[in-house]
Amino acid sequence: MHLTQEQIKNMNDLLSIKNLFLSIDSENQEEILKDVSFDIKESEIVSLIGESGSGKSLTALSIIRLLEKSCKIKKGKIYFLNKDILSIEEKEMREIRKNDISMIFQEPMRSLNPVMNIYDQLKEAYIDIKISNIKQEIINNLISVGIEDAKRVINLYPHQLSGGMKQRVMIAMAIACKPKLLIADEPTTSLDVTIQKQVLDLLLELKDKLNMAILFITHDLAVASQISDRIVVMQNGEVVENSHAKKFFTNPENSYSKTLLNSSLYLRKTTNIENQDDKNILCIKNLKVYFPERDNLFGRNKSYVKAVDDISILIKSGTTHAIVGESGSGKTTIAKAIMGLVSPTSGNIEILNKDIISMGKSDKRDFRKYYQMIFQDPFSSLNPRMRIGAIIKEGLCFLKPELSNSITNEILRDVLDKVGLKHNSLNKYPHQFSGGQRQRIAIARVLVLEPKLLICDEPTSSLDVTVQKQVLDLLIDIQNKTKISYLFISHDIKLISSISETMSVMYKGKIVESGKTSDIINHTQNEYTRKLLKSVPQIA
Amino acid sequence: MFTFLLTDIFFYIIIISLIMYVAYVRKTPDILANWLYVFRNRTGILSIVVLSFFIITAFLDSIHIKNKIYNNNTKQYVYTSEIKSFLDIILSPMHENYEKSYSAPFSSHLYSKETVNFNNIDKREYPRLLYKGNHNKYSNNKIENIAVISLFSIIKSFFICFLIYMIIFYRTIFKKNNNFLNAFNNNNVLCTSFFIIFFIIILLYDLSTQYYVLGTDKVGVDVLYKSIKSIRTGILIGTLTTIVMLPFAIFLGIFAGYIGGFVDDIIQYIYTTLNSIPSVLLIASAILMLQVYMANNPHEFENIYERADLRLFFLCMILGLTSWTGLCRLLRGESMKLKEVEYVQASQTFGLNKFSIIVRHIIPNIMHIVIITVVLDFSALVLAEAVLSYVNIGVDPTTYSWGNMINAARLEMSREPIVWWSIFSAFLFMFILVLFANLFSDVVRDAFDPRANKKYE
Repeated sequence: MHLTQEQIKNMNDLLSIKNLFLSIDSENQEEILKDVSFDIKESEIVSLIGESGSGKSLTALSIIRLLEKSCKIKKGKIYFLNKDILSIEEKEMREIRKNDISMIFQEPMRSLNPVMNIYDQLKEAYIDIKISNIKQEIINNLISVGIEDAKRVINLYPHQLSGGMKQRVMIAMAIACKPKLLIADEPTTSLDVTIQKQVLDLLLELKDKLNMAILFITHDLAVASQISDRIVVMQNGEVVENSHAKKFFTNPENSYSKTLLNSSLYLRKTTNIENQDDKNILCIKNLKVYFPERDNLFGRNKSYVKAVDDISILIKSGTTHAIVGESGSGKTTIAKAIMGLVSPTSGNIEILNKDIISMGKSDKRDFRKYYQMIFQDPFSSLNPRMRIGAIIKEGLCFLKPELSNSITNEILRDVLDKVGLKHNSLNKYPHQFSGGQRQRIAIARVLVLEPKLLICDEPTSSLDVTVQKQVLDLLIDIQNKTKISYLFISHDIKLISSISETMSVMYKGKIVESGKTSDIINHTQNEYTRKLLKSVPQIA
Repeated sequence: MFTFLLTDIFFYIIIISLIMYVAYVRKTPDILANWLYVFRNRTGILSIVVLSFFIITAFLDSIHIKNKIYNNNTKQYVYTSEIKSFLDIILSPMHENYEKSYSAPFSSHLYSKETVNFNNIDKREYPRLLYKGNHNKYSNNKIENIAVISLFSIIKSFFICFLIYMIIFYRTIFKKNNNFLNAFNNNNVLCTSFFIIFFIIILLYDLSTQYYVLGTDKVGVDVLYKSIKSIRTGILIGTLTTIVMLPFAIFLGIFAGYIGGFVDDIIQYIYTTLNSIPSVLLIASAILMLQVYMANNPHEFENIYERADLRLFFLCMILGLTSWTGLCRLLRGESMKLKEVEYVQASQTFGLNKFSIIVRHIIPNIMHIVIITVVLDFSALVLAEAVLSYVNIGVDPTTYSWGNMINAARLEMSREPIVWWSIFSAFLFMFILVLFANLFSDVVRDAFDPRANKKYE
């Protein structure tokens, strides 16, 4: 399946980018792309890897010439089939987009028009192609991307399809013209692992069938290693490495590539036995959270969505328990139920052996400092109009009002040191920080309360790989120093296996398997867990 | 003797709360920094200067006095029923005499021909104006005369500005390491805008001692005087209505969106009901009711000024009561959205009560919507006043207002040749007020938005 280096050398260049410089019209005329050059050969899969802001997507958009008006290409040439596509007329470029280059985007939810059915949307892709039976052609196309009941699907609207199905439809649209080059901009990032695997397999299969080249843009090295022939690494708008996939993963040349590779390999946490005693921190028994499906006009409807269905979890002091599952499996609902953001239908939640559901309001307020939560998206979990000092202080002011001003300020400075931020950050606003720094602020905000239990709801999933590692290291470091316990929620079974002692696998609101992490990872009994483990891309 | 009309009192309250807010800001460094940005921004300081002149004009027009006269019959001092404001006294050269009818700006004759008896011969001609336009003080050529007046007013305004400047910045100027030009350079926008505005004011004032700068209206009143007097009405309708409307819109909107459920239902029913009644009908019925009341209780009103004033006040109230629904709905939606945002949930996990969350997290994050809507509404309200005057349910016909001027211009526009200066000056004043209010709100919104690209940082 993968091509050897000799095979690649013998092939012709399909696309070659030569010394591309790009800048955005703004006051400082910042250069976003600096001297980007690489080639794509016929029927080759090239992965473009880099963290957010490294210029991957802008490179892709310059190839297909869909840049925003404020982006200006300063220098450089892009040759496609030996034609300079930066200098040709827009009309000619449209022809190329119609016949030779296609693109699929990151968010399948947003790339399909919600008011058109699948048939009408796919028909747009066939606008110039003269086929007598266009409907049959569309159905065949959908079947080729793995949609079995294509006859039914073409009459549906986007909202009736799952995320994976939508991405398949997008791919079907992209390959309708049998392109020579397919640009895939993070096509699997918003999908669950099991679906991600299906989409990747599909792309590989189609590549062989249609003999097309793929420019695959991703931030995930494991995904890239699954499918690519060649890896191009970008950092701050520059290409820092361009080498054959096998060589890259065994022996990367560039130091940045090495950091990237190291960040994807999580080091196993050294379990600190001193920290563990048999105190129960969190004990959930038979928790059920049902949401009524719809209030109709005449009384209540009796049907419910069972978001969390009969769950029991036990966490000991100083340990990490992980919950893994795909989107919609009810992981976050458990966290919200513990924090009191949704009210459970039935069941018990005990923290430090006290039942928090039946607890009185004022008792609960005093008790809240023992369990806290950090959220998934550090961009929306900090109020954009509050200074960092006020954000961190908020919990202190309300949960420990007895502290004097000078003590509070000392605590603030302490906690900033702990999470590795500068003292002058206190007067800044959240937007002045990067994603990783913001997540540190969010951690600092709960850390000042000295909680016994910290619920981490996908704290790293919206961060770049190198930053992910830093945040995880910080969390582990804090656990090693204090006797804090984590309830760690994630969709990433690979990540969980390296940081947790015990874990539960959730599927559709139920725990399908629970136990020691090493046991589950190495010899799982459950069918679903096995599937999940198999779907996780590994660096080959 | 000072007299206080109802709207005067509310205007004072607005001014006092403004001063209290300034005092509060001076103590809070965070908010002070934001306001300093407004003052350092060119557009910000310019619009502050222009708007403050409008507000000062309206304020001077809100201090009312009655004159004392000696009654020869009763041998006692009595108060006249006529009420004058400070502005009237300052502008007395503009309105002590009235011409007969329309005259164009800077004209020396009336706008229409009349039959004049001259040496027993009836002649059709344009009669000369009685009081202004013909007494060219410095030169017989009108243009030369105007030029000389302008020159004098430039010199005058320069001296006044210089004086004010020295008074305000005397400390910085006479510091050792700070020379005069340096201090000027740091405040050049402020100084220039002050100078230009003073120049315009003095020029208009000087010119109107000899000319009707914006012409006269049907009964010979100086249009410039009318326009200046209308500033108070415009600002009152803009601000008073907003003040009536804001608490309804903000609190009901946030309660509906954030608390939801039963509260949301009730608030939604209220504003849907209010919305389903055409607001013009509601305003018409309220104003008609007021008119009936005033007709039945004439003894409660000392003079026509009080009646006109009560009508203006009532109009503001009823406009405020009908116009909060739009903003309320916007804020309801926004708070529903914010309720689900993670930073609100994060503070819920800290156990903050609903009130603190609303004050700390929701209100600061909806303020930009409030500011934009308030300014757009401000201009809409000034315009609404004109529309309501058109159907005779606006302010009292004796009240000077841009709405009344525009309403009168309906007939003037259909004359041949048309009388354009009345609607032009109403338009000009409204335009300047609304434009600078918009610019000001833009800068304020940027100043309070930490994500905005602030140049001075």
